This record gives sequence, C-alpha cells and structure tokens, in this order.
Amino acid sequence: MKTFFEFLVFARYAVAAQFSGLPDRRILAEQVHRAGVGSMGLLTVLTLFAGLNLSVQSYSTFERFGGQDFLGMFAGIGGVRELYPVMAAIVCGARIGANLAAALANMKISEQVEALEVMSVDPMRYLVAPRLWAVTLALPLLCGYADVVGIGASYYGAVHQLGLDGGTFVSQLREFVHLEDLLVGVFKGLIFGWLVALVACFHGYRAAKKDGAEGVGIATNRAIVHGAVLCIVLNLVISWILYG
Amino acid sequence: MTKIFKALETMGAVVVFAMEVVRSTLSRPFFGNELIRMMWLLIIRCLIPVGLAVAPVGAVISLQGLEIFRMFGLDRMLSSLLGTAIFREYSPALASVMVAAQAGSSIAARIGTMRVRGQIDALAVMSVDPMRYVVVPGVIACAVVTPLLNVLTNFLGLFSGWVFAVPLGGVDHGAFIEHLTAQVTPADLWVGLGKCCLFGTSVGLIAGFLGMRVSGGAEAVGKAANDTVVATIVLILLVDYIVSYVLLGVGV
Repeated sequence: MKTFFEFLVFARYAVAAQFSGLPDRRILAEQVHRAGVGSMGLLTVLTLFAGLNLSVQSYSTFERFGGQDFLGMFAGIGGVRELYPVMAAIVCGARIGANLAAALANMKISEQVEALEVMSVDPMRYLVAPRLWAVTLALPLLCGYADVVGIGASYYGAVHQLGLDGGTFVSQLREFVHLEDLLVGVFKGLIFGWLVALVACFHGYRAAKKDGAEGVGIATNRAIVHGAVLCIVLNLVISWILYG
Repeated sequence: MTKIFKALETMGAVVVFAMEVVRSTLSRPFFGNELIRMMWLLIIRCLIPVGLAVAPVGAVISLQGLEIFRMFGLDRMLSSLLGTAIFREYSPALASVMVAAQAGSSIAARIGTMRVRGQIDALAVMSVDPMRYVVVPGVIACAVVTPLLNVLTNFLGLFSGWVFAVPLGGVDHGAFIEHLTAQVTPADLWVGLGKCCLFGTSVGLIAGFLGMRVSGGAEAVGKAANDTVVATIVLILLVDYIVSYVLLGVGV
C-alpha cells in the first residue's frame, strides 16, 4: 500500500517532468532507437509463433461446428484487438522496462543520480522524461508492426499448414477487421507503453545505495512483473469499456 | 560468423549445465529443506501475479468470442472455445511467463548476487556443492510449482470467462456448463499441465544457468535477470506452437 502511494507521488513528478516540454532530441532519438529497434527482433520471433499458434490452436474448436472458414476473422479480430497489443506490452516490459529499471537502479546505486542533483540537473527531466517519451512513442509503432507480423503468421498457419483457402482468409480479414480495430490496438500500445515505462522508472528510481547489486535485480524483477500484470488487467478494462 | 559460434557455444553450455543438474539431482546429498523452503517461497511470491495475469484473459476471450459467435447465433458454443483455449494455451503459457518473470528472474538475480559477492565460491570452499544447494532446488521448485499454479489459474480463467459470458453476456448457464463438460476433455487438462511442467523446468534451468554465469558487478546481475525472462518467454511461445501443431497432427 505504501508502495502504491509512493508510486502515485513518483508518477505525479514524472508526468510533470514529461509534459514540461519535449526532451533533448538527441537523447530522445537514442532512447527511441534503443527501445524500438532493439525490441524488434524479439517481438518478431514472439508474434510469429503467437500468430501461428492462434490459427493452429483455434482450428480444432472451429472445426467442431464446421466453421473453419471463419478462422481468418477470429485470428484477425482476436489478434489485432487483444493478443498483439498485450504481447507487445509484455515484450516491452520484459525487455525495455527491465532495461530501464536496471539502468536507473544502477545509476541510483552508484550515486550518479545524486551527482546529477548536486550539479542542479533535475534527474526527472534529464533521465526519466526522455525515457517515458521514448517508450510511449515506440510501443504503438511496435504494436502496428506486431499486427503485420502476427497476421502474416496466422495466414501462413491457416493456409499452408491447415490447408484452408487463402482467398477466404483474406476476404474474412477484409470484411471483419476494420480500421478502428487497428487503431484500438495501437491506442492500447500507447497506454501500455507509457504505463510500463512509468512503472519501470519508478522501480529503478526506488533502488537505494544500501541495496547494492541485489537492488538492481529486485528493481528489474518488479518492473517486469508489475508492468505485465498492470497491462493485462488494463487491457481487460479497455476492452470492456469499448466492447462490453 | 563469430556470433553463430557464440550462440552454438552457449547452447552447448546449456546442455552441459542441464546434464550437470540432472546428475546432481539424482545423486546424494540432496538438500530437501532448501527445496521445501524454495517451493514455499515461489508459491507465495507467484500466487498473486500469476492469478492477476491469467484471470483477465478468460474474461477477454469471453468478451471477444461472444461478439464473434453471436454473428452465427452460436453463443452457446462459447464455453467450448473458452475451455480449450484456457486449459490448453493461455493458462499454461501465461502462468509460465509470469513464473519466469517473477520467480525465474529473482532466482537468476539471487544466484547472480551470490556469485558477485563470492558466496558461491564460499559454498564450494565449505565443500557444499553450489549446484546441489542453490541450483537444483530452484529447478525442481519451478517444475513442481508451475503446474500447481496452473491448476488454480485454470479455474480462475474459467470463472472470469463465466462471469463475462453468463451474468454479463447473457449466455444461458445450463448451455455454458453443458458445452464445457461435453467438449473439454481431461486430455486438454493434461496437455496444459504437461506443458507447465516442461516450462517450469526450463525456467529453473535457464535462471540457474544465467545466474551462475554472472561475472562483474550489479549491472551483470540485472542483465542475467532480464535475459532469463526474455529467453524463457521465447522458449515458451516456441514450444507452445510446436506442441499445438504436433497435437493437431496427432488429433488429440
């Protein structure tokens, strides 16, 4: 409970720092590059298998009532609206969030943050704000990318491994997956990215010098777990509001 | 080219490490107290994150599935999709991902910290095999606890799916239960539990492997914790897909 209120206080300062103007362009570019391009490989592999699995696994359920032809719709809607944004968020938490938390915790433990303060550089504006911006910008893009890879993989699974008709799959996608669905997915990515970054920065920032090497491990661990759980729960809330 | 050789070398080292773990598990001495302490710790630490992560998934499947199934007037069939998806795929995969995130990374961080502080070497000097005392309990605890947690999350996922289908979605309760019991077989449950056992073992193995390889300072510990999570998530999704594909071919 105490942690939660600490988080609120941290979030207040961090958001104030985030919206007090765009950060230095060079730092921002470096962070976006690190968060976005650095995660693409991992995200590609994960969505590839998730997309394939979405087709292969739901096939047997649809086959029971002769609805194999609707696999395209199911894979499209389920993937774009729910699976790929959550996937991108978990990858983001596991890789970007963990990196952020580890980096900040490391700076905290080696007293670099205090050094910044002594030089009257606000660490919130110099360290936290660019990272928040970077992840918030990178994750929607990653989400869109995951949609493309995932649907491609679902198509491959359905057509080349299950022997369904490719034309039906594509026409299903065209008919039932609308632009709004893509936008909802990307919007979810935006929210998740911001949240994951905020949680990761908070846990990184909480590490103190006395925690030592262990503090870095704890910060990384909490950043991953809290980020993933928050995103999954929030995903349900957003979906409920939009589709319930 | 060097990268490929490096990757091959790491894979070889993982295999050697796994063999070593098996050998240490099967021969004495076996630290039972440490194992029980570890299992208890894992259950306590993972229960809430795993439950919180899997419960919403059932609800989301109901929410989206209902909309799709309703187009064909098949909303009575929803529970069979929900049951198979939860039992076979999402509960095992997500529970294992969360175990990897929570337990795997903290095991790796713990072993890594011990390594950095020289405690592993200290154990070896006291002629306590660090493999037996530190790594093996972690691996066995993960392998046992993940299926246990999966049993719980199966019910949680199913329950949240039920909440969104029956009271909130307006599906008939009798039809929901009937399709669930008719279409979801014990095989679905066993597939899920088997997967969990496999995933749990690999979480423990990878965490132990990366933790023992830590050298340097605090940064390396964080990196080991992070790499554990990333590597296990990739492994979980890869194995998940292969298992679904093989089972589809076999027709289970």
